[in-house]
Amino acid sequence: MIRVEHLSKKYGECTVLKDITVQINKGEVISIIGPSGTGKSTFLRCLNLLERPSGGAIYIDGADLLDKKTDVPGIRQRMNMVFQSFNLFSHLSVLENLTIGPIKLKGMNREEAERKALEILKLVGLAEKALNFPDELSGGQKQRVAIARCLAMDPEIILFDEPTSALDPTMVSEVLSVIRRLAREGMTMAIVTHEMAFARDVSNRVFYMDEGYLYEEGTPEQIFDNPQREKTRIFINRVRSFNYRITSPDYDLYAMNGEIEAFCEKQILTRKTRHNLLLLVEELLQLHHQIPSVFPLELTISHSEKHGNLELTLENAGEAINPLDPDLAPDDLGLNIINHLAEKIDYRRVDGKNSVMASLRED
Amino acid sequence: MKQTARLILCLFLFGIFWGCGDSGTSGARPEGTKLRSSADLKDKRIGVLLGSTHDTYAMKTYPRATILQYKSPSDILLAVKSGKVDAAIYTYETLLDIFRTDHDLAFLGKPLFYIQVGTGFNKNNNALRKKFNEFLHGIKENGVYADMVDRWITRGESRMPAINGKKTNGVLVVGTVSDKGLPFTIVKDGRMIGFDVELTERFAAYLGKELKMADMEFGSLIAAAATNKIDMITSTLMITEERKKQIAFSDVYCELGASAFALKNNIAQPGDAVGASGATEASHSFLKKIADGFYNNIVHENRYHLILDGLKATVIISIFATIFGTLLGALVCSMRMSKILLLNLTARVYISILRGTPVLVLLMLIFYVVFASVSIDPIIVSIIAFGMNFAAYTAEIFRSGIQGVDKGQTEAGIAMGFTRVSTFRHIVLPQMVRRILPVYKGEFISLVKMTSIVGYIAVQDLTKAGDIIRSRTFDAFFPLVMVAILYFLISWLLLQSLEYAERLTDPKYKRRKAARA
Repeated sequence: MIRVEHLSKKYGECTVLKDITVQINKGEVISIIGPSGTGKSTFLRCLNLLERPSGGAIYIDGADLLDKKTDVPGIRQRMNMVFQSFNLFSHLSVLENLTIGPIKLKGMNREEAERKALEILKLVGLAEKALNFPDELSGGQKQRVAIARCLAMDPEIILFDEPTSALDPTMVSEVLSVIRRLAREGMTMAIVTHEMAFARDVSNRVFYMDEGYLYEEGTPEQIFDNPQREKTRIFINRVRSFNYRITSPDYDLYAMNGEIEAFCEKQILTRKTRHNLLLLVEELLQLHHQIPSVFPLELTISHSEKHGNLELTLENAGEAINPLDPDLAPDDLGLNIINHLAEKIDYRRVDGKNSVMASLRED
Repeated sequence: MKQTARLILCLFLFGIFWGCGDSGTSGARPEGTKLRSSADLKDKRIGVLLGSTHDTYAMKTYPRATILQYKSPSDILLAVKSGKVDAAIYTYETLLDIFRTDHDLAFLGKPLFYIQVGTGFNKNNNALRKKFNEFLHGIKENGVYADMVDRWITRGESRMPAINGKKTNGVLVVGTVSDKGLPFTIVKDGRMIGFDVELTERFAAYLGKELKMADMEFGSLIAAAATNKIDMITSTLMITEERKKQIAFSDVYCELGASAFALKNNIAQPGDAVGASGATEASHSFLKKIADGFYNNIVHENRYHLILDGLKATVIISIFATIFGTLLGALVCSMRMSKILLLNLTARVYISILRGTPVLVLLMLIFYVVFASVSIDPIIVSIIAFGMNFAAYTAEIFRSGIQGVDKGQTEAGIAMGFTRVSTFRHIVLPQMVRRILPVYKGEFISLVKMTSIVGYIAVQDLTKAGDIIRSRTFDAFFPLVMVAILYFLISWLLLQSLEYAERLTDPKYKRRKAARA
C-alpha cells in the first residue's frame, strides 16, 4: 500500500532521515518507536507530504507521491492524520469538525454527513458532545474527536503522530482504547508512540528508529523480547531513566520529590508505586546521611516496562563505607522499611565508588 | 442604546447653552488699549487668510505683530469675534456686506490698500484667457458690468439673474471658494451665487459651454489651475507677482480694498458707549437662541441640503474606501507573506511609506500629481487615497490575524485533503476574521473620521458642508456640534454592521441564540 524507497530529509546541513526503505501493507498496524529527536515524526509527516522529502521516493498504491502530476490532496483524503496537539478546528463544533471534510471534499450532503458523523461519535463515545466546541473538551476527548474526524473521511490508512504525548496520564488510556478498537477492526495504521506496552500489543510490526535510520524492524516479539542490535537493546531494556545530583546534606528534598513524581507520571506508574519509590528514596538517603563523606551523591532511577520494575542506584566517591551496615544506622526501622519495599538490594564498591543498588517492583 | 442617545442629547444641549452664552461677549478689552488706527496693529495679533495678499502685506508692514493665518473667511471672522486675534485684514467689499447684518464689528480706518483682481488660467491656455478678456471688454461696453457692480456691491442684493446660454460647446470647469462671502461667492439655497458666480455664468454662456463649479480650498486653487484640474479660477483672485509665475491672469475685472477690522468695542471712538449692545443680547431667552440657531444653520436657505449632500459624500467615501482598502490590504498582505523576495519587499516598502505619510499629503499627491492631467471625480480620488492608506494598516492587521491562527490548524486541513487555498478559505479565514475584527473596527472608525479632510480636493463632505454654513451664519457652535454628532452617528451606525459581523463569526453565538429562544 505504501512503499518508501531510500527516503531522506535534510534541514539545511542537518540530516534528519537517512535512506529509509520500508513497505506498509494493507491491514497492518505499524508502531514507530525510538529515542526523541530521531526523525520518527518527520518520517510520518513525509508520508503525507506535510514535509517534503529531500530524496528518495514514496509510492501510495503505486502512485508516485513526489510526481508533480499526482493528485496529492486526493491521496491525503484517503490517508488521514492524527496530531499530537489534536488540531481540531477551533471555530467549528465537534459535529462540524467531522462534517466539513465529507461536505467540502467529498460533496456529501449535510444530512447524510451529520448522520454519519453522529454514528462515528458514538463509536468513540462522544455523541453527547456533538454540539460542543473543541475548547470545551478535555485533552482525551479532543484526541478522540480528532480520530473521529479522520474516520469521517473513510480513510484507508491513519497516521498517528504521538497521539498521547500531550495528554494527562489519566487520559491516555481512553485514547489508546479507541486506537486498539480500530486495530481490531482491521484499519491500516502507522503510529509514532512512546507507549511501549501499547506498541507491543497493538502492532503487527515495530520500526525502531535511531539517529535518522530505520535501525531495526520486526514483529513486536522480536523487537521487545529479542532485539538483535545494540542500540535497540539499550533502548528497550533501559527505556528511560531519571538522574539527580545531591551536593550537600541541605539539599532541596521537595524539589527532588517533585521531579521524581513528574518522572513517575511520565512513566505512567501507579500511585502506589510512586509512593513506594518516594519512601524508598527517602529511607536510603536517610542512611547515607550518617556518613559525612558521601556528598556529592548521584541518584539514578530507571524504569523498565518490560520487566515491570524500577532500579535505583545511589553512588558516591567517598571512603569505602557500606551505608547498609546495620551498625551505622541509629535504629533498625529504616533498614526494615527498605528491605520490605525493595525486591532486591545490595552494596558494591566499584572503581573507587560506593554503589547501592535497589530494585522496586511495579504495583 | 437609549442611554447613549440620551447622553448625546444632554451633551448637545449643554454645548449649545455654553456656546450661546459665550458668543458676543468675549474679546472686549479695556479702554486704554483700544485700537485707534491701523498703525496700532504693529504689535498686535492680526488674522489673515492663508496665502492671500493680506497675508503678505501684514507680514511686511507689521513685522513685530503676530500674524495668524486662517483657512477661510468665516474662520477669520470667528477669530475676531472670539478674541483670538485683535484685528484682521480682509476684503473691504465683503466686509461691507457682512457689517450690514453684523453690528459687533467695525472697520479700523480706511482701506489699507487696493488690489487688482483677475481670473486665473493655466499658462498654456492663452486661447481661453483671450476669450475672457474679449468677454470682459464686451460687458463693460454694454453696461452689464456696471449693473452687476451696482446690484451686488453697492446695493448688497443677493439675487441671481437667470442666465440662459447654449451648453453645446463642452464643459467649463471653474475653481472657486464657495465660502468667500458676499458680494462675491456664497452658497444660498443649495447653489452658489454672487458677483463672481454671475460673472462666470455669463462667461460660460458667452462661450456656449456648460459650467461646472469646483468648490475648493483657497490654497488649492492655483495648483489646480497649474495642473489643469480646472480651466479657470474665479475667486476674487488678487493679481500678484508670485502667482503670475504659476498661472496667467486675465485683465483686471475689479479692484478690491483691503481693510483692517476689529470688534466695535475694541475700536476707540469719540463718545463710545461701552456695553450697550451686550445688554440687549442678554435679554434673548435661551430657547429662542437654540431655535434661532437651528433655523439659521439648518432651515434657512435650505441649508440642510448641504448637510445631506455632505453626509452622502462622507458615507460614500467611507464605505467604498473601506471596501477598496480591505481588498487592496488583502493583496498587500498576501504579498507581504509571500516567500518571493520581490513581492515581499514591495509590500514592506508600500506599508512603511503609506503608514509614514499623512493621508492628507497622499490625497493631494494623488489629486494634483498622479491624476494631474486626467479629469477624475475627486470623490474617486478620495476613495483611492483613503483606500490605499487603509490597505497599509489592514494588511498588517490581516497578517497578524493569519499568523495568530495556530499552524496546526492549517496542517490538519492539508492533511485532511484540503488544498492550500481551500484550507485558507474554510479553516484559517473564519478564525482570522474573528480575531481581527476588534482592531479592524477601530481602524474603520479612524477612516470615517479621517475623511473630513477631503475638502482639500474640492469634495463637499460633511465637514465642508459645516464650513460653508459657518461662512454664512458666522456661528461656530451650532454647525460644528451638528457635524460632530453626525460623524458620531455615521460611525456608530456603520459600526453596528461590523458588530453584527462579529457576532456572526462567533461560533458559539448561534448556540447561545438557540438556547435563548
